[in-house]
Order: sequence, then structure tokens, then C-alpha cells
Amino acid sequence: MIDRIGLVAVRELRAERRQPDGVVAAVTFIAVLVLLESLVVGPQTARDPDVASALFWLALAFATILATMRSFDRELEDDALEGLVALPGGRDALFGGKALSLTIVLLLVAAVGGILSIVLLDLRVALPLHLTLVVLLGVLALPPIVIVDVVLALRLRARAALVPILALPVLVPQLVAATRGASAALSGDAIGALSWAGLLFAFAVVYTVIGLTIVPAAIE
Amino acid sequence: MTDTTIPRGNTLPRIRPWLGIAAAASFVVASVMALFWAPTDAVQGDVYRILYIHVPLAWLSYLAFVIVFLASVGWLWTKNELFDAIAVSSAEIGVLFTGLFLIAGSIWAKPTWGVWWTWEPRLVTTAIMFVMYVGYLLLRGLSTDFSRRATRAAIFGIIAVIDVPIVHLSVLWANSLHQLPTVLRAGGSPALDSSMLLTLMVSLGAYTLIYAYFMTARISIERARQGRLWTT
Repeated sequence: MIDRIGLVAVRELRAERRQPDGVVAAVTFIAVLVLLESLVVGPQTARDPDVASALFWLALAFATILATMRSFDRELEDDALEGLVALPGGRDALFGGKALSLTIVLLLVAAVGGILSIVLLDLRVALPLHLTLVVLLGVLALPPIVIVDVVLALRLRARAALVPILALPVLVPQLVAATRGASAALSGDAIGALSWAGLLFAFAVVYTVIGLTIVPAAIE
Repeated sequence: MTDTTIPRGNTLPRIRPWLGIAAAASFVVASVMALFWAPTDAVQGDVYRILYIHVPLAWLSYLAFVIVFLASVGWLWTKNELFDAIAVSSAEIGVLFTGLFLIAGSIWAKPTWGVWWTWEPRLVTTAIMFVMYVGYLLLRGLSTDFSRRATRAAIFGIIAVIDVPIVHLSVLWANSLHQLPTVLRAGGSPALDSSMLLTLMVSLGAYTLIYAYFMTARISIERARQGRLWTT
């Protein structure tokens, strides 16, 4: 199973490298939101750790939706989904591989988006290592639920509107924990950042288990 | 989708009028008790009487979404169409009751907190639960194939139930304007006067009967719709 998940993940990453429109769209989306934020609320408010963290994680949640939908669109365009699902253990491998490759892609997106936020908003990062840990665990918790929702809305009309409606409410606990954790790391609250990071790890595990249990049933 | 016969009993149409009568009678009794029998609250005065609508609506929205969850598991397990009919019926009624729950809460908030709406954990998580089940109904509405629609909706119905305990426990997890649980309290008896508690229990029973009445009517409609779907 691990081999198959690895194969799907490598295949996904190769496709993303050949045609990096998912990554480019996600990074551009975050950059646009950061620029808009400082224009709309003013640079002083935009620099507030709570505001900057909240916007970063909301942007990253939407970027995850964009990247995941793009990943499945590629399968549908090439009629590759049916072939992949027909293989023994294909459904589990599809979920595992997509989750792994999207996590890697999102870590890249989060790194670029995070650096953009820090530079453009002139943020002072009090605890860089804690912030890195929060971002790493926060990103881990994002793809499983979004993949489930993209699979549920596969081939439906108004899919672009439906996926955020389905995914974002379920992601609320993760978004709250990630925002509070990042804000704590920016403001120098080490214990707060580590507590939220622990919670994010728990969400990542729970969401992955839900994904592994549900996605095989959802793919028909 | 090879089986085109759906066994349909006639139990629901038989019990529905009796359920309707019981629901209407208990609703009248609960309203009289809430408005005239229950004592006035020492702090809030008569405003608190909205509790006898607000709490039953909250209970029913939880119940409705737990039923969606159970029926969703039932559909995935057995592929029996009855479970899908129960799930969609309970989701629609749950969305209705959650909407009323939010409105009743907002009406209560104005005289007690001074605002119609505040960014408070219980309110926000309830609003999120409302949006989740609107999403559930949207997901159903956008799917055309019966079996796929039922499976997709069942999967989302299982995930979405996570929000029910979050709504209930949100007042314990975060600093909240909303009062803490009064009836279902960890390690304690209900923090209510006995006549208030009795009125609340009668109201809960009345609203539960209304839910059951709505469910029987809506399930019958859904079963008839499924029948048309299979025969066309």
C-alpha cells in the first residue's frame, strides 16, 4: 500500500512540475489577499498578529481547495481517474497519494505565502521555530478534508461554489487552532504556540483517518 | 440499481393524524405552562420565557442532525432507500429548526445582551452548523443519479455530525456570554426551579412530537418521490 501511495504521490508531483498551474494559482491567490488586506484594513491593523495569521490561514484554506480541485480536474481531463480506481487498492492509494503530494505542494505554497506575508506586512516573528512547527502541522491537517469534499462534489454542477461551502465549516477547528498558534508564535507566546500545535497534530490525525475511511466509499 | 421494487408499508400515513393531534395538544399545554404557569425569573423577568422555545429548538436541531448521521450510516451499510428518505427529511427539518433556533436566540439576545448578534462561540458554531446542513442539501440538490446522490450525501452527513458536540460544548471550551448548560450538566442536577424544569420538559416533549409529525409527512413525500424515480 505504501508503495502505491508513493507512486501516486510521485505521479502527482511530476504532473504538478510539468504543469504547475495549481501551485502558481495558489501562491498568486495568497499574494493578492495579503496585498488587499493591507489596502482594505490599513497597514497598522494588517500587521496585527491575529489579523495577519487569520488571513494567512483563510488564504491557505482557499489555496488548498484550488490546488485540490486542479489536481482532480487533471485526472478528469485525461480520463485517468477510472483507471486509477480500478487498480487493486487504487482508492486508498488515490487518497493517500493525493494527500501526500498536496501536503508537499501546500508546504511550498505556505512557505512562499508566509515569506510574502512577513516581508509585505513587515511582521516581527518572535519564535520562528514555533511558527514553522505550527505551519507544518496546520498544513498537514488541510488536505484530507478538502480531498473528501472535492471527491463528494466530483462532476457536479457548481462544484467551485459547493466545495468551499462543504469544506470550510468542517475545517473551522483547524483554522482556529492554526490562527491562534501562528499568532502566539508571532507574539512570542511559546507555550500557547506549542499547545495549539499539539491540537493541530490531533486534527491532522483525525482528518486523515476520516479521509482514509470515507474516500474509498465516496469514489464510485 | 437493479432492484426496482421498494416495499412500502402504510404505517406512516396511519399514525400521522394521531401524531398530529398529540403534537398540537402537547404544544397547547406547553405554551400555556410556559406563558402562565411557570414562575417569572428573578433576574430576567418574563423575557426568559423564550427559553421554552429556544431550548426545544436547540434540542431538535441536535436530534435532527444525529438522525441524519444514523440514517446515513444505515444507507451506506444496507443501501435501503428508506434510510436515504429519513436522512433527507431529517436534514430539511433540522435546517428549519436550526434557523428558528438562531432567530429565537437572537430575539432573546437583544433584551439580555443588548445586541441581536454577537461573535460568541455558541452563536457562531450554531450558524456554522446551519451552513453545513444547507451545504448538505445543496449537495443533494446538485446530484441527479439517485444512488450517487444518496452516497455522497450520506458521507457528508457522517462528517457534518462532528459539529453537534462542538456546538453544545463550545460554551465550556471558550469564554462565552452564553449561559452554561443548565439541564445536561456534567456532575450535577439541572440548575432550574422544579416548575420551570417541568415546563421545559413538557415543551421538549411537544416539540419532539412536532418533529416526529413533520418527519412522517416528509418521509412519505420522499418515499413517493423515490417510487416515481424508480418507475420512470
